[in-house]
Amino acid sequence: MEAAAFLVEAVRWWGIAGAVVAAAFLAVGVDRVEPNARGSYIFRVLLIPGVILIWPLVLWRWAVLEAGRDQWPLRHAPPRRAHAKVWAVMAVVIPLLLIAALSFKQEWPADYTPQKIGETPPAGGSR
Amino acid sequence: MSVKYVPVQWNQNKWLYDGVLVALVGAYLWIFLRVAPGFLDHARPVDGAIWNARAFGTCAFLMMTVILCIGPLARLDRRFLPLLYNRRHFGVITAAVAVTHAGFVLDWYLAFSPHSKFEALLFVNTAYDRFIGFPFEALGIFALLSLLILAATSHDFWLSFLTPRVWKALHYLLYPAYSALVGHVALGALQDQQNTTFTIVVVVSVTLVVVLHRMAAQRERRDGDPLAEPAEAAWEAVCQADQIAEGRARIARLSNGQRVAVFRHEGRLSAIANACAHQNGPLGEGRVVSGCVTCPWHGFQYRLADGCSPEPFTEKVPTYRLRLENGRVLVDPKANPPGTYVEPVVIPAEAIV
Repeated sequence: MEAAAFLVEAVRWWGIAGAVVAAAFLAVGVDRVEPNARGSYIFRVLLIPGVILIWPLVLWRWAVLEAGRDQWPLRHAPPRRAHAKVWAVMAVVIPLLLIAALSFKQEWPADYTPQKIGETPPAGGSR
Repeated sequence: MSVKYVPVQWNQNKWLYDGVLVALVGAYLWIFLRVAPGFLDHARPVDGAIWNARAFGTCAFLMMTVILCIGPLARLDRRFLPLLYNRRHFGVITAAVAVTHAGFVLDWYLAFSPHSKFEALLFVNTAYDRFIGFPFEALGIFALLSLLILAATSHDFWLSFLTPRVWKALHYLLYPAYSALVGHVALGALQDQQNTTFTIVVVVSVTLVVVLHRMAAQRERRDGDPLAEPAEAAWEAVCQADQIAEGRARIARLSNGQRVAVFRHEGRLSAIANACAHQNGPLGEGRVVSGCVTCPWHGFQYRLADGCSPEPFTEKVPTYRLRLENGRVLVDPKANPPGTYVEPVVIPAEAIV
């Protein structure tokens, strides 16, 4: 339970940090690093959940763009090889997971007779 | 294509796509909840929240399966490209359906815990040391979180801001998310199934996803873009000029790993990067429309000579120097910065068969 409470608290703090980053980025940063965002405001509301979820990535990209370290060749180099590798792993993992889960599936006792708590079990009728 | 960002760039195709999708989701939920309870083995009297959780949960699973099938289908047959066009909206609607499923689960199974329902969800089952009985809830949380990240970063802004490369890497989360979802279903709902209908649906879905990806990978290996051949002075030969059809392109992999698309338009050749500036779609598989290369994925357009989108749009792709030698198309593998003008090369009449 302590671990669960810690995780929920960590998520809460992640969200608070994300909200702070979202406020700063959408009020100031987005105009500085994204020309197509200048003078456009309503769409920024849609960005709030994304910033909150991936705010470390947002801070990293913001810093890269502010420093002029963006490398244009990388914008035109899709990670195609990675796609093949990721999918090769998934093509094995997904079927194995499903087969194992169905193979070891615990069968529900077919001859089980429900009974009320406190009643005397019928002879051989329940487990 | 963007000049200034708006919340959603609606057009007739997107309205149609989303309208059909929402109608299908609504029809599925209605059939599940109202028409076929006996067939789907939820005729036993269970509470409405459980019915709703099952309806939205199975719907989200099927929607993720379809999303994963669209990519390989579009690679195998161009007639499926329209499904790819608005797949991000499909993902957002899927995330909404999945959140609704989670909401029904939390508000029913965990609503009466003395602790917060989010904490209860995390400690209700902690048997991480076993396979059958493994906390399938954790797998569902991971899948849902991944779906939320994908949905929340689906606006075109994120592609431009993160770069298509980082955005795509982030959106590879879809694969582990689907794996986790299969685990969530297989170790959860399927363990309690007495009717085999949903088990069959899951097995068919997983088989479809795996087989389609396998077929697309085989097609890629068999018919993938050829490697350019080394030529003199570090130039690389892509093909013969007469192998390029009018209004079309030949794609080649260069020695530096980049892909170039050499287009022929009105008897002249131009070379641009094969990756669209928007989502890195394969420009070389597109056509020349109104003098501009048109990306087959989302219709982004670029002028052939300088790789710039026509005014007022601002997207740009790199260009390449090229020349003809004895009918062979040679490309300088060093890409020019996006938007650099390169004079198209006129194809002499003798080079065209």
